[in-house]
Amino acid sequence: MILSIDEVSIRNQNKIIVDQVSLTIREGDWFALVGESGSGKSLLSQSIGQLLPAQLQVEGSVFFKEQDLLKLSAKEIRKLRGKNVAYIFQDYQGSFTPFRKIGEHFDEYLKVHGFSSKKLRYKQAIEALESVGLAEELYHRYPFQLSGGQLQRAAIALALLLSPDLVIADEITTALDSVSGHRVLEMLAKRQKETGCSILFITHDWRVVRRYANKLAIMKDGKIVESGGKHRILDHPQHQYTKQLIKSAPILEKGLPSGLDREMKS
Amino acid sequence: MNRFAGRLLKNRKQTIQVGIALIFVVMIFIGIFYAFFILKHDPYLTNLSGRLQSMSLQHPLGTDHLGRDVFTRLLLGGQQTIGYSLLALVTAVSIGVPLGIIAGYKGGIVDRLFMRIADGFLAFPDTIVAIVLVGLLGPSISNLILAIILVKWVNYARLVRSTVLSEAQKEYILIARINGLSAGKIMKKHLFPHIVGHVLVLASLDLGKIILLISAFSYIGLGAQPPMPEWGAMLNDSRAYFQSMPELMFYPGLAIVSVVLITNMLGDYFRDRFDVKKEVNQ
Repeated sequence: MILSIDEVSIRNQNKIIVDQVSLTIREGDWFALVGESGSGKSLLSQSIGQLLPAQLQVEGSVFFKEQDLLKLSAKEIRKLRGKNVAYIFQDYQGSFTPFRKIGEHFDEYLKVHGFSSKKLRYKQAIEALESVGLAEELYHRYPFQLSGGQLQRAAIALALLLSPDLVIADEITTALDSVSGHRVLEMLAKRQKETGCSILFITHDWRVVRRYANKLAIMKDGKIVESGGKHRILDHPQHQYTKQLIKSAPILEKGLPSGLDREMKS
Repeated sequence: MNRFAGRLLKNRKQTIQVGIALIFVVMIFIGIFYAFFILKHDPYLTNLSGRLQSMSLQHPLGTDHLGRDVFTRLLLGGQQTIGYSLLALVTAVSIGVPLGIIAGYKGGIVDRLFMRIADGFLAFPDTIVAIVLVGLLGPSISNLILAIILVKWVNYARLVRSTVLSEAQKEYILIARINGLSAGKIMKKHLFPHIVGHVLVLASLDLGKIILLISAFSYIGLGAQPPMPEWGAMLNDSRAYFQSMPELMFYPGLAIVSVVLITNMLGDYFRDRFDVKKEVNQ
């Protein structure tokens, strides 16, 4: 078990935004968290790394390998971030500091986590870029000189740089066109196979869920209405809201919504 | 070097501006150098028998109403005016910028506290604060500088805070935090470079304003005290001789105008120069 979220509630002064949510992610899982905008998915994911704005209060516990992340001090959680838990976000434009070169980001983060040799840092950064199919010369480019897909892949390379155990991907393909989005996801899946990390994948795109996820949870109004294995939920939804969601994204071929029957055939 | 030359050639209007500004800056430095080391005349030495002389080889710009060499006093005055303005500016910037970054990045109670203090300082226009302070502590250039610093740092702090406030919301700051950077590093490396351009532009425009303010206060006798050579004070001194020797007022006036103009030109140049996007595109 990599991550276990246990009855986490997030509230601001007026209302409860996330209400007693529990979920468990195991090693090598591609865990999809599905839900409409405003259902609290992103806030839940940010609470894992203590990244929430100060006016929001969090209750409950988030266990990462037997360590309660919500109880860690600012210094302890800083050590953990990047090294053990990494994030990728939707807005690829804002993922890199605009006036610093792509390579400088890699260099800086490696330096913070104790890589003191400059040569080794450069080598690692180039390796990370190449692992997502980006050329070495991008190391010396500014973020605005890259295309959206390139930036998002660079962001993935950056997130996976220190081989974290858990990657939190927050709607990473929403802002990309479908071809670039497909390429980014293939890259992420390939890297997951290579590193064996777990992925908490926040999305509302059913195609992605069908193709990549093996576990999923559906979130509505700050609550998880249903969770479990992909085939169980897609083929035998229990909750009314899940049924609605699946119905709203029909597939062209005949067969089970999860594609289990086709998987078995091939 | 080639790249630099190519960029300069492409934008002729800017080139001319910067050229003029740089020539003036060099001239000012030569003047200050001259005033320091090769001073021919004592700027304070009065010579009543040689007063109000016009141009000559001995006195390139003539002498004033007490027989002092105007050229020497003009150079020394420049040293005073520009030096004190820079002092005031640098102090104000180095107080305002760090406070602004911290307030903008930390937010919450720190920010609110800071904003109330800033509002308090902003409630008084700079001229009023200067007059009151100089009235309380006595007229002198150092009290004037103190007043200017007290008023000006707020502008920088507020400018920086508002920029940082919008930048700190962006995801690259979040990502920097996620990747384990400390708050200090984020402020220094990911936020500070953002505001250098803004601050430089505001500072170079402010430099002109501060020079004017010091000159104006010296003119009405609340800044530099005689016999200290200062452009505003020199203007005031020569007021009585406006009809017989108008050039006595003309020289310091011209000096003030040209320095203020240069600082504005440099401000424009800095703004363009600090735009990374522009640099790469050209």
